Amino acid sequence: MPHTTPCSRRAILAGLAGLGAATVLPVGRAGAQAGRTLTVRIAREVQSLDPPFMTGTTDSNIIRAVFQRLLAQKPGTYDYELDAAEAVDQVTPLQIDFKLRPGLMFTDGYGEVTAADVKFSFERFARPNAEGKMSSYAADWAALVEVQVKDTHSGSIILSKPSPSLFEVVLAGTSGVIQSQKAVEALGVEHAFRPVGSGPYRVAAVEPHRSVTLVRNPGFTAYTPDFETCQLLYIANPKTAELALRSGEIDFTELAVDAAAGLDGVDGITVTKRPGQRFIWLGMNMQKAPLDNLAVRQAIRAALDVDQMILAGYQGNAPRLNTMIPPHLLGHWADAPVYQRDTARARELLAGAGVSLPLTLKLTILNEPAFQNMALVAQALLQEVGVTVEIDQREAGTFWSSGKGESGQALELFILRFNANPDPSYNARWFLPQQIGDWNWQRFDSPEFARIQAESGMNSDRASRVEQIIELQKLMDASASMVWLTNDVFALGYRAGIAPAFLPDGNNWQFSHFKAV
Amino acid sequence: MQSYPAYVINRILTAVLSVFGAMLVIVILISLVPGDPATVLLGPLATPEYAQHFIAEMGLDQPVHVRLWRLAAGFAQGRLGTDVISGQSVNTIVAAALPHTFALAFAAMALACLVGIPAGVWSAVRKGSAGDTAIAMVSVVFVSVPSFILGIVLLVVFSIWLDWLPVLGLSPSASLRDAAIRMILPTVALALGWIGLIARLVRTSMLETLGQNYIRTARAYGLREGLVHYRYALKNAVIPTLAIIGMGFGRLLGGAVLIEIIFARQGLGSILYDALQARNFSVLQGTVFVVVVIFIAVNLLTELSYALFDPRIKFSRR
Repeated sequence: MPHTTPCSRRAILAGLAGLGAATVLPVGRAGAQAGRTLTVRIAREVQSLDPPFMTGTTDSNIIRAVFQRLLAQKPGTYDYELDAAEAVDQVTPLQIDFKLRPGLMFTDGYGEVTAADVKFSFERFARPNAEGKMSSYAADWAALVEVQVKDTHSGSIILSKPSPSLFEVVLAGTSGVIQSQKAVEALGVEHAFRPVGSGPYRVAAVEPHRSVTLVRNPGFTAYTPDFETCQLLYIANPKTAELALRSGEIDFTELAVDAAAGLDGVDGITVTKRPGQRFIWLGMNMQKAPLDNLAVRQAIRAALDVDQMILAGYQGNAPRLNTMIPPHLLGHWADAPVYQRDTARARELLAGAGVSLPLTLKLTILNEPAFQNMALVAQALLQEVGVTVEIDQREAGTFWSSGKGESGQALELFILRFNANPDPSYNARWFLPQQIGDWNWQRFDSPEFARIQAESGMNSDRASRVEQIIELQKLMDASASMVWLTNDVFALGYRAGIAPAFLPDGNNWQFSHFKAV
Repeated sequence: MQSYPAYVINRILTAVLSVFGAMLVIVILISLVPGDPATVLLGPLATPEYAQHFIAEMGLDQPVHVRLWRLAAGFAQGRLGTDVISGQSVNTIVAAALPHTFALAFAAMALACLVGIPAGVWSAVRKGSAGDTAIAMVSVVFVSVPSFILGIVLLVVFSIWLDWLPVLGLSPSASLRDAAIRMILPTVALALGWIGLIARLVRTSMLETLGQNYIRTARAYGLREGLVHYRYALKNAVIPTLAIIGMGFGRLLGGAVLIEIIFARQGLGSILYDALQARNFSVLQGTVFVVVVIFIAVNLLTELSYALFDPRIKFSRR
């Protein structure tokens, strides 16, 4: 008798129901790790892993894991130690000699790391690529004349002017990575997603809008990273990232500060809040009436209560900032005035300024909760002294263009945030007169500031350089165009068993130093 | 009276015109979006010369009519443009994402039909019962609450409280089973609104159909109620719903965009979100164009098939 398989509608429906049931069955924690895999959320897509053309911290975090530099930052500090180099000596203010460790190998068969690769990598920042693109980080190597190659492993970096921050900011940073000349030339544009380095990890896969997979580089012998694989998952929505951390699908993520409170005490999750090193301030356009009047600016500063503003913005998690350079960075002005709210003084200044009250001013902000809350408090505080504030909140794309060109001239009040750099002269450059219409939204036009900033950028004497940086901050304070608010705060969430590693700003992660504990 | 071939040609020409109209709207809207793409994409360190070069590379320094012409010429040759940041072809980016969005949209629509149609029929034949009222209430809730809110609720309930399903819609492994499991919550979140809508539409149509003479006749012949409902009544009652489903496919794609972001799924949604955030206009316009073409194509197919399926629509035999 022939054996037939029934293929009725009933059978098909039953099969579909069975399949459905199978897929709905509980699967438990999907993030169970096979071996040592670190799963990290990235909030932004990878744009380019070609160091001169990288665009943000997602790119730079991967670049730090994939490439070696002559010097590398130690975990959690801006101090540096030798990395690909066995010696780096500042012979004169204009010459730095280096000697590479022999036997360092690029991945994918691109041979040994040589002084010629160092020359190629550093000089690349000053040259356009094959498509005519210039590096956005060319200024890092502005003082570079050339790299002279002595032999396979030795060379000299020749500078046109002294660069006191070159070691910690450039050589130990992402502008100091060593690329394989052969690989860059052979791979072309593809190198942006298939970088060839000699560092602790290599990029195994980049899946656009999805993930990046890093695997340990067996050729890297300086130390062995704890995690065999780092899987970086692209999760744009912070709420989804928080839930994925709770469910164990990711091991590490940055959190919104308000979400961090909700995760505190959740079993198996550690939440760390770290003061950031960004600077956030309420700025005033010094070229727009009535803010072109010093007394009006001083009155606004006197009417504001910085502590109340940051309490509303960061729920007590962020420290107060009184000057541009944050504590623990070179040039911090420890004696900067700590302005307290003084409404009587504010009214007196406004009366003396000869402006008619009520004044109406527009406060432009980024549409993030912290800024919205701080703006609302500022609005209420200023109302009490006769200044009516209209809040203009803008999404990121629009907001970051607010200071440009003509729209910059129309700005009045704004709350702004910049990322800080270990180099104080670098941080001050955004307030130079030539940045008016670009990033100097206050339109703070001080030739003296420009002169001191230029001198500090070439001053190799640490003590007198600190004095110069403090002098810059005093000039900013005298202008009364910036009310410093906070350094921001970073909240990071991670699974028990992970000890993350990052630079002091909390925003730059060092995957190769993450520990499995 | 118009013949069917003439009707088809007429609809196709309208669709082509709609595509051109959409291109014009894309170009105009992009020129109206505030914010400087060079500032957003290149950051503060870019030199003014490079920023200018970058803007020129995107074609944003050209007048609207030149940009429209270039766009139309590129699209006519099947070129959606090049991502000026990564150097990748937008065709490649969209082609990689499209299957994920389609899978989600079709799965959601299939689920919505599988649940919504029987629920509508059940409601209609038990008009006024407690079950009918309950379905009506639940349907209204599903229709009114946006899919991304439903998505978050589903995540909290099924992934965090019950720990049954994963949060992330993207599968870190290549396993098909894992990918299927990760599709469940996004599919349900996207389908719920449609389940409510389809249930209400089918109920209304069914009530109208059940009052028809041919249904009374079928009952008079002693046919089983199930047969009357599903074979005779539903066949006609479902036609208006099919039209709504077709027309609503675009809305479904819009919902899929948000759901992809909530569930961190790869797809057109995440591409559009990133491109808009970063003012990456070359990717944005290519992707929006693809979405518009899909929307117009689905509407066209719906109109053409509706004309075929609905016996009340007549064409001349000239």
